Amino acid sequence: MVCIFMIDEQFVQVKNLRKVYDNGHEALKDVSFSVKKGDLVCLLGPSGCGKTTMLNMLAGLLDPTSGDILFNGKSVVKVAPKDRQIGYVFQNYALYPHMTVLQNVMFPLTVGKNKRSKAEAEKVAKKYMEITQITELANQKPGNLSGGQQQRVAIARALVQEPQILLMDEPLSNLDARLRLKIREEIRSLVKRVGITTLFVTHDQEEALSIGDKIILFNNGVIQQDDVGQNFYLEPNNYFVANFVGNPVIDNFAVKIADGKISGSDFEIPLAALDQDRIKGELTPGEYTLSVRPENILPSEQGHFTAKISDVELIGRERILKFDHDGIQARSLVNLETTIQRGDQVQLSMRLDRIFLFTKEGTRVY
Amino acid sequence: MKKNQTKAWLFLAPTVILSTLFLIWPILRAFVMSFQSGSLINLSWTGFSNYKYIFSDPEFWSSMSHTILYAVVTVPIGLAISVMLAWMIFSKVKHKSFWETTFFMPYVTSTIAIGIVFRYIFNGDYGILNFVLKFFHLPTANWLDDPSMSMITVIIFGIWTSLAFNIVILMGALRNIDPNFYTIAEMYGASSNEKFWRITMPQLVPTLAFLLTMDVISAFKVYTSIYALFNGQAGVGNSASVAVFYIYNKFQMVGTPGVAMAATVILFLLILLTTFLQRKLMKKIGEN
Repeated sequence: MVCIFMIDEQFVQVKNLRKVYDNGHEALKDVSFSVKKGDLVCLLGPSGCGKTTMLNMLAGLLDPTSGDILFNGKSVVKVAPKDRQIGYVFQNYALYPHMTVLQNVMFPLTVGKNKRSKAEAEKVAKKYMEITQITELANQKPGNLSGGQQQRVAIARALVQEPQILLMDEPLSNLDARLRLKIREEIRSLVKRVGITTLFVTHDQEEALSIGDKIILFNNGVIQQDDVGQNFYLEPNNYFVANFVGNPVIDNFAVKIADGKISGSDFEIPLAALDQDRIKGELTPGEYTLSVRPENILPSEQGHFTAKISDVELIGRERILKFDHDGIQARSLVNLETTIQRGDQVQLSMRLDRIFLFTKEGTRVY
Repeated sequence: MKKNQTKAWLFLAPTVILSTLFLIWPILRAFVMSFQSGSLINLSWTGFSNYKYIFSDPEFWSSMSHTILYAVVTVPIGLAISVMLAWMIFSKVKHKSFWETTFFMPYVTSTIAIGIVFRYIFNGDYGILNFVLKFFHLPTANWLDDPSMSMITVIIFGIWTSLAFNIVILMGALRNIDPNFYTIAEMYGASSNEKFWRITMPQLVPTLAFLLTMDVISAFKVYTSIYALFNGQAGVGNSASVAVFYIYNKFQMVGTPGVAMAATVILFLLILLTTFLQRKLMKKIGEN
C-alpha cells in the first residue's frame, strides 16, 4: 500500500545517472532526483552544467552511460523516445513552416503507430488549441505568428498525444523580456490546468524561481541543490548556490575563524553572537568565506565596519549602494528613499541570523 | 536629387552598356531578323514569311517535338532520381562530402568529353551498356545507329548529366532543414517514409521549383550532348534533331538567318511560357 503510494508520488525518478560523451566529457556525474506527479520542476544552471543533457536523456534522445530513469515506477532507459509518452518543446520550437497551425498541432496524431483518423486527430488538436488559446490561428503558417504564439503552438503540439511528461528546453529564451514574463505565467497556469508533470530547463534563475514548484540546480554535472525556490535564497546548500541565485548577487568577504571569533579585514564577530541553531558544521579555526545577501547588510548607527559608497544605483523601488571591501565590490540593498550618496562614509551592519559561512571548498558551515 | 540620379546612372553605366550590348541587343536583333530574309549582309523585310515557312516545315515540327519530348521526359525523371540520390546520401551514407564531390564531377567536366565516353558506353557492338544488359539476359539495342533509339539515348544521357547540379543544390537544401524537425517527428513515432513525405519534400519545394525552372530551360536549349553523342550530327537521319540544331542548321548550313531567327523567337516564347506556368504552379504547391 505504501509502496503504491510512493510510485504515484515520485512520478519521475532518476537514479545515479551518469553521462560521459564520446569525447570523454563527463556531462553528468551520479545524478539522482525525483519529481512528483503534476509538478512543474525547473532544471536550472549555467550553460554547460548538464541540464540539457539531463532533459535529452529523459526524452530518450541520449542514452545514459550508467544509472536508471523511471517513469511511474518503470525503467525507461531501454524504451524508444516515441514510446516514453513524453512531449518535447524545443528552444526554437521547431514548428513545421510548411504546415498551418492546425496541421502542426495535428502532426503527432497523423504519423506512426498512434495514427488516428483525420476527423479524430482534428478533434483532439482543436481541444488542445482551445486550451492554449490558438484556435483562431488554425489556418495561419508559423512564419506569420509572434514568438509567444509560436510557443503556444509548440506546446499544443507537444500535448496532443496526451503525454505523461512534458519536457521543455529553454522555451522562453527566444522571446523578448516583457513577453517572457507573460508567457512564463501562461506556461505555468497551462501545465497546471492540464495537470501534466513538467520539466523545464532554464538558465534564468528568476524564471525558475517564479514558475517552478521546485528547482534542481546543476553545476558541472552535479546537483547542487534540489529544493523549493525560497530555500535557494534563504538556505543555500553551498557557496555556488549562494552566488548563483540572487539578484543583486550576494556579497562575499574573506574571513578567518580563530580564538572564538570571526575576523574580517576590518570587523570581528564573536562566534557566540551567531544563531547557534544555524550552525551546520564545525567552526574549526581556518579560512572561510562570509556571505551575506545585499538586503541583509544595511547602513546603521553601529555597524560592523565602515565603508565609502562608491556608487548608488537605482533599480526600481530599491537602490543598490556599492562599496569596496578588500578590493572587491560589495553591495547593500536599501530603500528608494535613502539619502546616502556617492562618497559618503557609511557604517554597515550585517544580520547575523542571515549570514552564511562557507569553507574554502564551498561547503556551508553556518 | 537630380544630381544623385546622374551619379547613379554613371555608376550603373558599365552594367547597363554591357547588358544592353550583349543581352538586350541580341534578343531585339533576333526578333527583327525573324522578319527579314536574305544573307546576313543583305537583309530585307519579308514580314511573316519566315514564320509561315517554319510552321509548314516538317523538320521544324519534328525538332520542336523532339525538344519538348526531351524536356518533358528528362527533367522530371532527372529531378526524381536526383532527389532520391540526394536523400540517400544525406540520410544514409557516411563520408557525405566525398560522395557529393563525386556526384558533382560531371558538372565540371566538359559535356563533349563525357559525350565521347558515352559513345563508347552506348556503342552497339562493343559498348559496356550492351555488355551489362547481355550479362543480365536483358534485350540490347543499337543505341547510336538505330534512328528509333536516338531520342532514348539522348534522354538517358540528358538525365545522367542533369544529376550532378541537381544533387549538389538539393544537398544544400537538405542541410538547411532544421534537424529538430526530424527529432520531433521521430519522437512522435513517424516512419522514415512519413518523415520524407511530410517534412523533407515540402521543405524542398522552393529548391525543386528553382531546379525545375533551370532544368527545363537548359533542356529546351539542349545541343552539346547530342553533338557529342552523334559525332556532330543530330543522330542518324536527323532522328535526334532538336530546336537548337534546327536553328544552327538554318543559320549556318542553309544560310537563312531569318528562318533561324524565327525559330529562335518561337523557342524563346516557348521557354518564357513554360517558365511562367511553372512559377504559377510551384507557387500554388508552395501555398498548400
